[in-house]
Amino acid sequence: MARNDFGPPDYRELIPPVIQKNYGQWKYHTIPRPGVLKHVSDTGDVLYSVRIASPRLVSSEYIRSISDIADTYCDGYLRFTTRNNAEFLVSDESKLEPLIKDLVAKGYMIGGGGHSISNVVHTQGWIHCKSAVTDASGIVKDVMDELHPYFTGEIKVPARLRIAVACCVNMCGACHCSDISIVGIHRTPPRVNDELLVGRCEIPTTIAACPTGAIRPNPKTKSVEINHEKCMMCANCTVVCPAIKIMDPVNDGVSIWVGGKVSNARTAPKFSRLAIPYLPNNPPRWPEVTNAVKHLVEVWAASAREGERMGEWIDRIGWERFFEKTGLPFTDKHIDDFTHATTTFRSTTQFRF
Amino acid sequence: MGDILVKGVAIEVDEDGFIVDPAVWSTDLVEVFAKDEGIEALTEQHWKVINYLRDYFKQYGIAPMIRKLCKDTGFSLKEIYELFPSGPAKGACKLAGLPKPTGCV
Ligand code: SF4
Ligand code: SF4
Repeated sequence: MARNDFGPPDYRELIPPVIQKNYGQWKYHTIPRPGVLKHVSDTGDVLYSVRIASPRLVSSEYIRSISDIADTYCDGYLRFTTRNNAEFLVSDESKLEPLIKDLVAKGYMIGGGGHSISNVVHTQGWIHCKSAVTDASGIVKDVMDELHPYFTGEIKVPARLRIAVACCVNMCGACHCSDISIVGIHRTPPRVNDELLVGRCEIPTTIAACPTGAIRPNPKTKSVEINHEKCMMCANCTVVCPAIKIMDPVNDGVSIWVGGKVSNARTAPKFSRLAIPYLPNNPPRWPEVTNAVKHLVEVWAASAREGERMGEWIDRIGWERFFEKTGLPFTDKHIDDFTHATTTFRSTTQFRF
Repeated sequence: MGDILVKGVAIEVDEDGFIVDPAVWSTDLVEVFAKDEGIEALTEQHWKVINYLRDYFKQYGIAPMIRKLCKDTGFSLKEIYELFPSGPAKGACKLAGLPKPTGCV
């Protein structure tokens, strides 16, 4: 029988000796240049980490090539960050400049530290998921092509700005809590294939999957029927029942959300909120999406105070100013109408004309 | 999609080996599935789980939750895995002819 239940390898065996030695004893860090971090320990030891952008979806050739770089400059040590950037860990300072030169020569992009736009946390898209309303890798490449000077530190931003992409409202990843989120959405109700449903789907599970109670059993067909008036096209029923289909290449697209954060710095964590209800899927470059994201970044960067995240900026100026400054239309789609929606309404006379 | 042979009769299964039409389920089919699932011989205990799953599905239209399965059959999850090496969903439900588990599995 195969060996199982042995867990991941112990990280302590995989970290560079300088980290093993100074574990829990780091004194401070600085950012000597965009994408390069310097950590100094109580013992006086120094560790540099050089962060590069990675597309997350990579080939084994890519892994081998960055491993070769780590072999040459970092005694074979590297790590991946929680935003899927790669970091080369350099304990020998004399190897820092040659490493950076080599990375630049090979076309790797250094950056993503401090106040910047770091990697985009994203999902599977049309590469691998059957629920994908839009693509992830494609949009991410387009957005980062447009915004790369913000990654490298060439263009400065007032605070860090996190971008995330999720290809459906399941929101695998960080879209509900990012400064700018791109989320795939449907705009047509699902179709039920009655014949296929019988024997393929658990009817009670399918009914219970609907957040608005739009699904009820259909005794005549031994299937289910969907009340289109109640359906808001979340596609949750299609996830649990393969006989219900929702994909619609013409009307599917993406929505854009703003103002989420997870850190507790200055202000409490926030959910992101709807800014743009719909933009079309327009592969391979998604110009409408990339332009909208770039525009949001530019308006925020021009108006926010030093250290002010997107959501903090909006809280200060108010949503009516946000829509005014960005020039985005405010529509009925922006008004919450789900269960506890009243908490999101304005219950004060304080507002700006 | 593909077919498996049960006593010379071709039966349609999906790419994960689940039967497409619940009406074709038979005890012979279970014998054939068991071999693919690494079960050497079907015991009374296997049948207890399979019959329980079939009865539950017939009554409620869904597969039982794992805790319910364990409680009602008296088998711990560990024992279920000993009986069905690929687990209650991929193993036991497949043998019982229930629909393939869905969602983020
Ligand atoms: S966000 Fe939706 S479509 Fe994208 S990977 Fe997750 S479940 Fe699949
Ligand atoms: S798409 Fe969502 S809202 Fe519409 S029927 Fe399915 S589960 Fe309900």
